[in-house]
Amino acid sequence: MNYLQKMKGGGQSPPKVGSFEVLWSWIGSFLGIAAVALIHFKILDQTGLMMIIGSFGASAVLIYGAIRSPLAQPRNLLGGHILSAAIGVTAYQALGGQPWLAAALAVSTSIALMHLTKTLHPPGGATALIAVIGGDNVHNLGYLYVLVPAALGAIVMLIIALIVNNIPKNRKYPEFWF
Amino acid sequence: MKDTPVGDFVPVDISEHDVVEAMKRIPGYIDITPGDFKEMYQTAYSLAIKRLFDSLTAGNIMSKSVLFVEQVMPLVEAAHLLAEKKISGGPVVNRDGRVVGVVSEKDFLKEIGFSETPSFMQIATNCLDSKSCMIGRLSNRTVGDIMTKPPITAGSEMTIDTISTLFAERKINRLPIIDAEGRPIGIVTRTDLAHSFHAMRERPKS
Repeated sequence: MNYLQKMKGGGQSPPKVGSFEVLWSWIGSFLGIAAVALIHFKILDQTGLMMIIGSFGASAVLIYGAIRSPLAQPRNLLGGHILSAAIGVTAYQALGGQPWLAAALAVSTSIALMHLTKTLHPPGGATALIAVIGGDNVHNLGYLYVLVPAALGAIVMLIIALIVNNIPKNRKYPEFWF
Repeated sequence: MKDTPVGDFVPVDISEHDVVEAMKRIPGYIDITPGDFKEMYQTAYSLAIKRLFDSLTAGNIMSKSVLFVEQVMPLVEAAHLLAEKKISGGPVVNRDGRVVGVVSEKDFLKEIGFSETPSFMQIATNCLDSKSCMIGRLSNRTVGDIMTKPPITAGSEMTIDTISTLFAERKINRLPIIDAEGRPIGIVTRTDLAHSFHAMRERPKS
């Protein structure tokens, strides 16, 4: 298959899920984001800390909407956010004067590290990027960003996923822990 | 014997359509494309088949009480022996006990002047017409004169996958199994092979 032929695709797209799956994805993600958002806006807002970052929206897609995916399992959710957050903060602190380079390195290195540690979680790339481009609120946190919001937020979302995803009879989460 | 092209043996293959149908029946969003799943299934399937085939060797399936005849045995005596034991052939050994050939009904028939595999009626009519019956040729000759040589043999570690390929490609019906010194320790016939496939299906499912 030559280079241009590969671009044709040619495969079939997977089928649409049933409305049952849509409903439970909605319920799970509503509750999961509600939990971190409540903590963020009602408790931490005054303190300079934060609980919600953009990448959690992406995590919600996986851990409430594609719960069988290897990318959505606890190992990936926690490992992906924590490792990527650490890479992101390091990239900003080392190369903050060249934000374009810090941003690119943060994301690419996070992906490499997540691959190497079998923790690939796409929202982790966003977590690393936010550490660089997230503005003063994020920069002021320093390495605390790794614990709050990254680790703690992921843990709260995980708890909601465990509670909600196991309610329906033919849904089960996780497939594996580590 | 009809040759079966290997290509015809492709088992019922899985299609992307099957995968899509299966994905519809399994609740939840499954994070893989039908094409990738199909490829993974086919690879895993061939690995499983290979493991199954590799798990049985000549040593597992061979008949251990192998009847062999000596190279110098007169043909008439050998014919009596084969008739008495109700077998159609076996390995031939030299004075040291090493396998040097294989003798079977086919070799006898060839010697009498029949080619390939004649029917019983062909043989009967031929011999009723006594002028053209060459069965007399068999006297005064030894097994060594008519045996098929060099013999196709195998060690006890050969897998049934390799054995079945050997049977098909070399058009043989029996395979003497020999030890390191070349002495017969068993024989695998087409019947043994058929039984081994049957035994594979009987295995408990895990």
